[in-house]
Formats: sequence, structure tokens, C-alpha cells
Amino acid sequence: MTSSDGNMNRRDVLQIAAASGAASLLVSKSATAREEASQPLEIVDTNVSLFHWPFRRLPLDQTAKLVKKLRTLGVTQAWAGSFEAILHRDVAGVNGRLVQECQPYRELVPIGTINPLLPAWEHDLQQCFGKHDMPAVRVYPNYHGYTLQEPRFVQLLEKVTSAGRFLQLASMMEDTRTQHVQHQVADVDLSPLVTLLEQVKKARVQILNWRPRASELEKFTKKTGILFDTARAEGTDGVPQLVEAVGKQRVMFGSHAPFLIPEAALIRVHESSRLPESSLKPVLAANARLLVGNGA
Amino acid sequence: MIDNARLRLGLPTAEQLAQYRIWDSYFTPSHSHPGADGTSSLVREIERSLPAIKKGQFEKLCYFPHVGIGTTTDKRLEERLRAEPELILKPLNRWPKLLMGMIQLNANDVSASLAALDRWLRDGPMLGVYFTGSGPGAAPCTDKKVLPLVERIAELNGVIMQHTWFITGGKVRPGQTTPAELVELAAKFPQQKFLCAHAGGEWQKGIRAVRDQRNILVETSGFDATAGFIEMAVRELGAERIVFGSHLPSRSLGTELGKVIAAEISERDKRLILGENYRKLLHPILGRK
Repeated sequence: MTSSDGNMNRRDVLQIAAASGAASLLVSKSATAREEASQPLEIVDTNVSLFHWPFRRLPLDQTAKLVKKLRTLGVTQAWAGSFEAILHRDVAGVNGRLVQECQPYRELVPIGTINPLLPAWEHDLQQCFGKHDMPAVRVYPNYHGYTLQEPRFVQLLEKVTSAGRFLQLASMMEDTRTQHVQHQVADVDLSPLVTLLEQVKKARVQILNWRPRASELEKFTKKTGILFDTARAEGTDGVPQLVEAVGKQRVMFGSHAPFLIPEAALIRVHESSRLPESSLKPVLAANARLLVGNGA
Repeated sequence: MIDNARLRLGLPTAEQLAQYRIWDSYFTPSHSHPGADGTSSLVREIERSLPAIKKGQFEKLCYFPHVGIGTTTDKRLEERLRAEPELILKPLNRWPKLLMGMIQLNANDVSASLAALDRWLRDGPMLGVYFTGSGPGAAPCTDKKVLPLVERIAELNGVIMQHTWFITGGKVRPGQTTPAELVELAAKFPQQKFLCAHAGGEWQKGIRAVRDQRNILVETSGFDATAGFIEMAVRELGAERIVFGSHLPSRSLGTELGKVIAAEISERDKRLILGENYRKLLHPILGRK
């Protein structure tokens, strides 16, 4: 994907993005097979964040230090959101700083934030896809104060989908039991997602930081556009269980670093020794590579 | 071909892990119910944990059996455990080098708990007790009923693991204990060590609450792998007051071991947290047995 002129009108940008994205995001079975057969065990972290967590300092909240750690762990690409996006309302500024911060590091792919309750959120989306050429945008419905039935969220999902991109939905950022007393935020109610994906048929939504629950998982099983990360797939065999429930093509490694320790998610993928190589490779990297269009 | 069992992604080498001599203070297979027959779920959950135990090179793990004193709501199970106490010993007999046990006490049934202390700590293989935060055996540790139990545990050199949480918004069950309440209890027994399970969950508050009560050590499991926990605990309490727990299999090796091995602390501190401190706590009762 190449950068576009940020001065183009919104519709043009989205249409161009849709056309180019549709081609690059095609998932071919032969690519999957090639990936599994020839690649070494590479790692793409689909869920990291840059800048400062609003409620305390974290050991890896400086980008250089985080990248150094990710390299040590063998991560070759990391999709980076911004902690600033949780509370800031100048989202264009947040996304601009994120792009700049990612620039020196070949591993980092900036994932901008959209808050569809803010005026002119469409402009932010245009910037993310048209100017910054991002493969996806991230949303924080609970911190931004809306449910998944919010009409503006549905519009956002439609626009993201028609642009050939995908959405990362942070289902939570911190355990509700440990949140700041003056800033308690319930986990996102994901149940409308199934109906939503019937409305927006080609949408792809990666749920981040979700702790899989059997009752909800069952509902998600048939919706192949719903994808998952591993950041809070807890339990010694939580990741294999998730893979068995939804299929190996729909689970992608994500750490929620630096809020969570990146080693935690990485060890969890293999600690039960239950995932065969044919699942490890898609989960650790191939699915993510295919989703952003460089899986071949 | 990738041999999954030999994958080390995110982990130190097997040799390094072995050098830590990891003793796990908080192993929770079938923690709330061992199965209707008194043992099958428990054994299955231990087996489920074995790959991670092997990957982590754990030397020993301590779990918390129910011993038929009303710590579950299953009356049939409670009767069975009383009638067939050999069921309680099955895991210890099957994995004698790997497992240690500390019995779950019922703070709401003092006489049964005192009898269980004699049966399982004084005369049996158990090394200490677990005070739970939920179920029929739970009571806040500041409850007067707890005092005679702690006195007896201290006489027997037993180790005390107290479940604790500081939940934002307050307790969700009346039987829960906060780290601040554990401080009140620990102040009454300055010669007895107390393990503050989960460091209060909201560890920034938990660590602060127990900091000045030096006979309290914090246990590391039971919450997400939130970065900075171990660093703050070492800074405020010293590594000597931190004890590793795995919470396997309901939580993961990644989450729980990751907290310690990835922390920005010295190798000496990691050795203390992962095993040395716990061995020191167990030394008196192990010596007596």
C-alpha cells in the first residue's frame, strides 16, 4: 500500500483505499499453504500500544525499549495502537503522533484510533486510510462510551469494510476489578457483533483482549469475520481451546504489551504443547500477514 | 518439524529455569471441587497442567485439598471425604516428589477445622492451610473465629495462605479478605508468617497495605500479567517477601511465570521469589516431618 494525498476528498480516498485494499487483502489458499511450508517460526504481535498508560508508568512504555524487547522475543512485526487514544479527544493528533513514533522502527505498523462519537470522525478515518495508509483502525467502545449497536459505530464498520480494511475492537484494557475508582469501565458487550456482521457481511473485526467465555464463543463460532487475539486467552491451554473452537485461521497472536508482559502471551501459545505446527504458524504470524496483505 | 514440547518462545533456557529451583506456592487444580468421587477432576486437572509444569522446570507445587470439613456446598462429597480420607491423599501418593498439600480450612466451623489441623498437619503430610475468599468456608480474616485457628497453626509451624483481593468498588462477597484486613490479623501474631495471596489483586494498593507488616509476604498469582508488579513489590517489600504462585491450570505458565522471569530485577531476586523464600517458609514444618 502506498501513501495518498491527504487533501483528496473523503469519498475519493475511501474508494481508492477500497480498490487497492481489496486486491492486497485477498486471502488465497495457496498463500496459506506456502506460508506454512516454507517460513520459519516468525511472530507478528497484533496488539501493542505506544505512549503512556494513563494510570501508571509501565516498564516498557518507551517505544525504543518496547521494540528492543519485541526483537529479543523474535517479533518481526507489531501492530501498534496508542494509549493516548483512550482519553484524548484530539484523535487526529493522537494518530499523527503514533505514525511519527512508529516511523523509525521497521517492525511497527501504526493502527489509528477512531471514536465515532466525536464530531468529524470520518475525517480521522480518511486520515488513517488515505494519508497514513493504515491497514486497520482500533476502537475502544467502553472508554469512548458507546455500545456496538450505536448507529455511528455501524457506519464506521461499513466504511472500514468498504475500504477493504479491518477493525480492531478492544473489548477491554484493564480488569474491571483493578481499575481506578474514579474511572471504572465495564468490558464491551460483544453480543451485538453477530447481528452486526450479518448487516455488514464482509466486515472483519479482530477482538482484542477478550477472555474467551464458552457461552459467547459458541455464538461467534460461525461468524468467520470475527477474529481473535491471544492476549487474555487465559488458562494453560486457553489458546489451543480457542483455536479448536473457532479455527486456526481466526486466531492471531497479540500480547497487549506493554500493559501486559509480552512474554506472558508468547509462552501461553505453546506451554500446553497442544498446538501442532500447522496451527502455530498461522496463529503466530501467517494469519496476521495475510490480513494486512503481505502473506504471500 | 517444530517440536512443540521443546519450544522456548518467551522462556529462559531449560537449564536457567532449573537453576531457579521453582517451588510453586499456589497450584489450583480443581480448586473448588475435586470431583464427585473425591479425586477424578483433581487428578485430571493436575494431568492437564503437566506439560506447563515440565516446560517451566518446576521442582514442586503446593495445592489445596478439601478435607471434608464443609469447604464445598456438596454435602455428599463432604461425607465421602470424611468416610474415605485416603481419597485426599491420592494425588500426593501418585506424585510424591512433585506435590505438596495445604488443607482448605473452614473458618465458619472452628471445631472441625481444629480437628483437621491435628489430623492433617500434626499427624499427616500437609504443610499448612488455605483460607479461602469464597464458598461456605470463607470469612474475613478479621473474624474472631479465625484467631484460635491461627494459634493452632502457629503451634504446628504451619504455613498460612490467605486469599486476598482489593476489588475496585468493594467486596463482592462477604467472606472476602483484603490485604488491609490481613495486616490486622498478622499484627496479632508477629511470630507467624502470612502469605497474602494475589498480593491483593490490585497490587498497587495491596503492596502498600502490607508494606509495614513484615510478617506478611505476597504471593504473585491470580491476576493478569500486568507489567510492573514485581518491580514495585521488590522496591517496596524487598524480594525476600515475595513468593511465586502459578495458579495453574486455570491461569497459565505464561501469565504467572512471565511476571517474574520478565521483571527488571536481579537474578538473585528471581531465585528468591521463584523458590528460596517459599522453601524458607516451609523449612520448620518440613523439618518437623
